[in-house]
Amino acid sequence: MDKKGLLLRFLFGGGAVVVSYVVSVLLPWKEFGGIFAAFPAVMVVSVMMMALRDGSEKAAQTAQGAVFGMIGCAVSVLVVLLSIRYSHNWWLSVVLGLVAWYLTAVFTYRLSRAHRSGVTTRARHSRLPLPRH
Amino acid sequence: MNTLSMSGIIIRFVLGGGAVAGSSIVAGRLGGKFGGIFASFPAVFLAALLTLRLGSYGQTLLNQSLSLSKGALVGMIADIVCAVMAGYLCTRLGWRQGLTYSVGTWLALSCVAVAVTHA
Repeated sequence: MDKKGLLLRFLFGGGAVVVSYVVSVLLPWKEFGGIFAAFPAVMVVSVMMMALRDGSEKAAQTAQGAVFGMIGCAVSVLVVLLSIRYSHNWWLSVVLGLVAWYLTAVFTYRLSRAHRSGVTTRARHSRLPLPRH
Repeated sequence: MNTLSMSGIIIRFVLGGGAVAGSSIVAGRLGGKFGGIFASFPAVFLAALLTLRLGSYGQTLLNQSLSLSKGALVGMIADIVCAVMAGYLCTRLGWRQGLTYSVGTWLALSCVAVAVTHA
């Protein structure tokens, strides 16, 4: 990974956590701070870097690929939320959230691989010559 | 945690940026299957959750973590919409407009959803 991409990720990630903190302190509705804790920093930078290097078409593919990873993140947050509510154990909730993220990410990764290989097979079949009768 | 502190902002910026950059480096080093999986690591959420411990303990920490997680869950669902939109719009409008509209929709959707749940 190049230094420019890494610096952008650092700035976006750090900025999102700071905005989340500032909003949660300044606004009476604390949930608004949580919105910024979900800022898609990695996807935004990945799409930008891909677009600058290979154009908008490849950037769109990067964004499509990120959908599977984001499902894992959403499940992770849901598990943390439910675990804090019912167990009242902060560390246990963080660990359970990480486990849920990993399991969902592995599942969605396999799903994305199957989806990609299915698309490739269909594309290959579509290039075959039509049968003659 | 009712007032903003400059040291708190700096610590959060460094930890948040470090978490995102660090997970990107790990994803790149691992490569292959585990690299692909690690690229989706929820670094910003985790950093925001961990930095809550800087100023809160006990029941206050649990309540703040619950509020953060509620907002983040809405934000994560909006993230999925944002990624689908970016995938669609980047090819049709170009990446600058496509990404701007997608992130704008993420923010608007998240704010409306949180506001509606409070109403």
